Amino acid sequence: MERQEFLEKMQNVLQTEKELSFDTELEELEEWDSLSAMATIAFLDKNFNVKIVYKDIPSLKTVEDIAKKAGL
Amino acid sequence: MEFTKEQFFIVTGASSGLGEATALELIKQGASVVAIARREDKLKELKSKCANPDNLYIEVKDLSQDIDSLPDYVKTLREKYGKFRGMAYCAGINFIGSIRSINYQDTLDLFNIDYFAPLFMAKGILDRRNNIGKGFSLVCISSSDGINPVKGQSIYTGAKSALILTMKSISKEVSSYGARVNCVSPSMIKTPMTVGENCVLEDDNKEKYPFGWGEAQDVSNMICYLLSDKAKYISGQNYIIDSGGEV
Ligand SMILES: NC(=O)c1ccc[n+]([C@@H]2O[C@H](COP(=O)([O-])OP(=O)(O)OC[C@H]3O[C@@H](n4cnc5c(N)ncnc54)[C@H](OP(=O)(O)O)[C@@H]3O)[C@@H](O)[C@H]2O)c1
Repeated sequence: MERQEFLEKMQNVLQTEKELSFDTELEELEEWDSLSAMATIAFLDKNFNVKIVYKDIPSLKTVEDIAKKAGL
Repeated sequence: MEFTKEQFFIVTGASSGLGEATALELIKQGASVVAIARREDKLKELKSKCANPDNLYIEVKDLSQDIDSLPDYVKTLREKYGKFRGMAYCAGINFIGSIRSINYQDTLDLFNIDYFAPLFMAKGILDRRNNIGKGFSLVCISSSDGINPVKGQSIYTGAKSALILTMKSISKEVSSYGARVNCVSPSMIKTPMTVGENCVLEDDNKEKYPFGWGEAQDVSNMICYLLSDKAKYISGQNYIIDSGGEV
């Protein structure tokens, strides 16, 4: 998956109307809650076979951090 | 010893977790077990762990492929091993089914192994020509999520709750010839599904589990009891194994 496609997909995972960039701070998004965290975990697992769990979530500060986890 | 080696049981999902624990316990109690899963290396490992390895028979099979033919598959197993005394259906998968991340194909994949495969394995083994008749016992593993779902389990809950009531209905059909059908529904048991490097499910809400997370044996003991004649008056039930906290 290309980085641009990743960004578009994250837009759907987080279901936010605010346009995401790699610099977007997750804490600034109203939608960044436990359900978004859960959807992010499922997204990384299904698309990149990357396993993270809830306790890894606080270490994710920006969209870039999620992309790094995905290896992009 | 609860069983003899002439008494054959099918255990699906025997390569890991609850199925493995059930196969080991049945063998320990003297029975013969036909152990089914996809990973042959894991089944061979299981054989080496058995109290009596000669009583464990390995069958490598992907139960989510060609589900329509599973009743015939059971028939071929019966031709090979004789009529079955029981079956423990312990194969299954789970993943986070957040309503945001689900898609139809993943949903089908889960239903195939968690609902359709047990249904058609049951069809095969409940054919009177394939089991011993009176005294036959079938146990399927459902989940506490099948009764009291947590968030993120939309698909899994659907398959597991359907399984409980499907098995209850079937139990009423086969009681006429003395066969019994039950489910067990664990909450959080330490197995490769819930701990370890391949796992994304995590739940450390200790209040829900007054006795902590369970061991595989906590479930296999109940399964073996339901498979035995000690449970001869019990059918159509679903036993929750959750340390009293969740459901
Ligand atoms: N652990 C828990 O806390 C818990 C709680 C409630 C319910 N359950 C249920 O208990 C059952 C067993 O879970 P577990 O914890 O023992 O999980 P596990 O350790 O992951 O074992 C799952 C087993 O299912 C087999 N399996 C999966 N897909 C298969 C397929 N397509 N064909 C044949 N075999 C297949 C696997 O074998 P191969 O990969 O070798 O094929 C493995 O032996 C599942 O139905 C699960 O939903 C577990």
